[in-house]
Amino acid sequence: MSDQEREYTVIFQPSGRRGKIRGGGSVLEAARSLGVEIEAICGEKKTCGKCKVQVMEGFFEKFGVESSLAHLSDWTKDEERLLSAAERDNHIRLSCLSKVKGDLLLFVPEEARGGQQVVRKKAGKLKYPADPDLRIYYIEMQAPTLHDPEDDFLRVKKALQETHNAVANRIDLFCLRQMGDTLRAAKWKVTVWLWKDEIVRVVPGKVERHYGIAVDIGTTTVAAYLTDMENGRSVATDSKMNPQVRFGEDVMSRITYAMQNPGKGLQQMHEAIIGALNEIIGNLCDEQKLVRDDILEMTLVCNTAMHHILLKLNPEHVGVAPFPTAMAPAVDIKARDLGININASGNIHVLANEAGFVGADNCGVLIAEEPYNSEEDVLIIDIGTNGELLCGSKKLGVVSCSVATGPALEGAQIKFGMRAAPGAIEKVEIDQETLEPRFKVIGKADWHTHIEDVDAKGICGSGIIDVVAEMFRTGIVDKGGRFVKEAPTKRLRRDEATGQTEYVLAYEPETSIGKDIVITQGDVRAIQLAVGSIYAGAVIMMRHLGIQKLDKVVLAGAFGSHLNPFSCAIIGMFPDVPIAQIISVGNAAGDGARLCLVNKHKRAEANEMARTVKYLELTVFADFERVFMKAMQFPHMEDPFPNWKHVIDEIPNWKKIAKEKKPAGTPAAT
Amino acid sequence: MAMDEAKKTDLLHKLAQGVTEFDDDAVREAAEEWVATGEDTYDAIFDGLVAGMEEVGRLFSAQEYFVPEMLMAADSLYIGLDIMKPHMIQRDTGVKGTVVIGTVQGDVHDIGKNIVKMMFDVAGFNVFDLGRDVPLEEFLKKQLETNSDIVCLSAMMTTTMMGMPKVIAMIKEKNPNCKILIGGAPITDDVAVKFGADGTARDASNALEEAVKMIVALKNIQKEAMAKAGK
Repeated sequence: MSDQEREYTVIFQPSGRRGKIRGGGSVLEAARSLGVEIEAICGEKKTCGKCKVQVMEGFFEKFGVESSLAHLSDWTKDEERLLSAAERDNHIRLSCLSKVKGDLLLFVPEEARGGQQVVRKKAGKLKYPADPDLRIYYIEMQAPTLHDPEDDFLRVKKALQETHNAVANRIDLFCLRQMGDTLRAAKWKVTVWLWKDEIVRVVPGKVERHYGIAVDIGTTTVAAYLTDMENGRSVATDSKMNPQVRFGEDVMSRITYAMQNPGKGLQQMHEAIIGALNEIIGNLCDEQKLVRDDILEMTLVCNTAMHHILLKLNPEHVGVAPFPTAMAPAVDIKARDLGININASGNIHVLANEAGFVGADNCGVLIAEEPYNSEEDVLIIDIGTNGELLCGSKKLGVVSCSVATGPALEGAQIKFGMRAAPGAIEKVEIDQETLEPRFKVIGKADWHTHIEDVDAKGICGSGIIDVVAEMFRTGIVDKGGRFVKEAPTKRLRRDEATGQTEYVLAYEPETSIGKDIVITQGDVRAIQLAVGSIYAGAVIMMRHLGIQKLDKVVLAGAFGSHLNPFSCAIIGMFPDVPIAQIISVGNAAGDGARLCLVNKHKRAEANEMARTVKYLELTVFADFERVFMKAMQFPHMEDPFPNWKHVIDEIPNWKKIAKEKKPAGTPAAT
Repeated sequence: MAMDEAKKTDLLHKLAQGVTEFDDDAVREAAEEWVATGEDTYDAIFDGLVAGMEEVGRLFSAQEYFVPEMLMAADSLYIGLDIMKPHMIQRDTGVKGTVVIGTVQGDVHDIGKNIVKMMFDVAGFNVFDLGRDVPLEEFLKKQLETNSDIVCLSAMMTTTMMGMPKVIAMIKEKNPNCKILIGGAPITDDVAVKFGADGTARDASNALEEAVKMIVALKNIQKEAMAKAGK
């Protein structure tokens, strides 16, 4: 069979869109047919060189594809002209010029991606004043003379002590190498950066402000905050996709990648994240007209797998039970040892891991939200690619657990799922009478019913939660998650190809993808699994602590903050709690990183509290399966929801209504 | 006392429907009624309970049912099974049926594995469940010890899935005729082929479907064997 007659599996990362593609067509055509946007400014005139894709080499267990450069048509002269040698070595091809000849796993680099992700990790105000480990001091000294030939270090140390009562006992070697010249050039008037008791930077003259960077390395997104160390304010933020996504979308597939490619895999992923951090550091510094040497401290939070890969520790063991980490306590590392391009003498502080699946990011949430100081019984849900839960109070202590929410909440594995980027449906409401939806698309000013060009492209996590919750509230899906075919709306229809029922959320004219956007039965099932796992985790933790009823639920994480609390409650993401007690706190992990950056007491507290949180491994509870199963129903198979009774009681039972309407003996309409 | 055909049909229907609708009481009543007649419970189990479970499997494939419904149906089935199994006359069906099953080392997820195990149980297999987080060598050890026909390996994570080819290689080397089925969220058909497994179910949910299909196939084999034995 020739290539033109065969179909191949083509998968695009990071979107995860995949499909069967007929051989012989270009990668760009394949991307379009799968709804992947690749920037092709010149319109395939072979002039812009923008439509880059990176070909992943090897067999990818997770996808079951063997991908290879040889599965594309030959390298062309135009690519030789438009791409660099380094790019060629890096397996970059132009998607308009390369034709599909076999199975492919392709990574679309950030710059080639159309429709950039909306960065939702904004920085709020911190609860604590700045009191950092890193301080700056202006000092003036007398130059050495024959009568006073003391060494430079001691001279600086004394001046710090006398002028500021600051104690310096050590000096970083890289700093020392330059200090002598600096002191003399500055005529002994300098500003000294002191990290704890170590001198790490000396610059001429008086410097008033200094900055550090707090970073939240998510599985999918890296967010960084350039922070004024003296007042704790975030002066610039930047974020980008975690470039490790091309090695695997989730933590487990990245660990597997490291295992499958001994030595090399870990190195590649390590370099990828360091590269991304350096890029972000560059962007932040450029924005504030700083140089990289101006940054002397960074704090990092991330999950345990990201933690290990960042430090280039073998992540294999955190990937298999009992999931031990290489090191739980916080670590301080010289920036130069990690190849991070801040000042070579700068410090990288990585927060403590709590347990195998509860990493430094959760430690960030912990100290930002302080459940250990709470008078109320609180449940904190940090939703990302994985869900991490904290539960407890000052009185009861705090437990944590990790739940596999799966990628559904981030829009993956949902038929029309996408990331929170322009064109994504982010909010949905359904009218209980007409069963007609209205929705809001990211990048559009108003609900779709009030605007001309709706241009919906897909649906992101918050939109999916909304639509499923609304379908349940209006009786379109039942408690078990099944579509109720009797619901009187033409939007419920049968997909001829699969025989499955689906709900049309947006008709083709309202979309920019040339087809209807629908919610399938499979989509609802994926959401049931995700929210069920969170609820089940909450149940086990509450039982462990002896909590009957929660006082408060905190939704953390960039994603969690954009969820509609009403939808989360109705769908049963967590046990009964009044709506006023469901609170969104934004990127708490990032807040924790910022707190640790600017406040040394919080930093110590983080390290200490991380040790006191008791981790519960859910799967060892014999009845976890049952608990999970019951939690999959909306909102729960049997738990009461007194706070939501008024809503649940109003859910129409269309099956019953249809029966009552139809006099007995009337044949069913066909 | 022999049962008349009408009552038999009625009870079989009740058992099947009881499972499909997870009506524990209905299953319990029907099962007790059947046992009270003193009749062999073989038909009641296979044409009643298991037939009901097959319908559950069909509803699951059609996405009418989901995991909770599947587990509830399994509960009802077990209630009937517990009552009727002691009264089943063992048959030499000619089908060798010994299975070793477990979740591989490093993995503690076993919902899917437990359901598959149940299906084998129901089908009358002799099942050795090694549990979860099972050291890889244990599978070989148990296989050799029991001379099982089938070894089932489960993994829910891509990391632990990598233990599977090692087990398969170990077993196939000693006992090439042993059939190996693998399952779990990260397993695809391609992976199964690459690992050298004889069969797979794509994920926990599919494991249910596959297991149901497996039972249907087994029942056919059993019937054939019995027909042959009868000749």
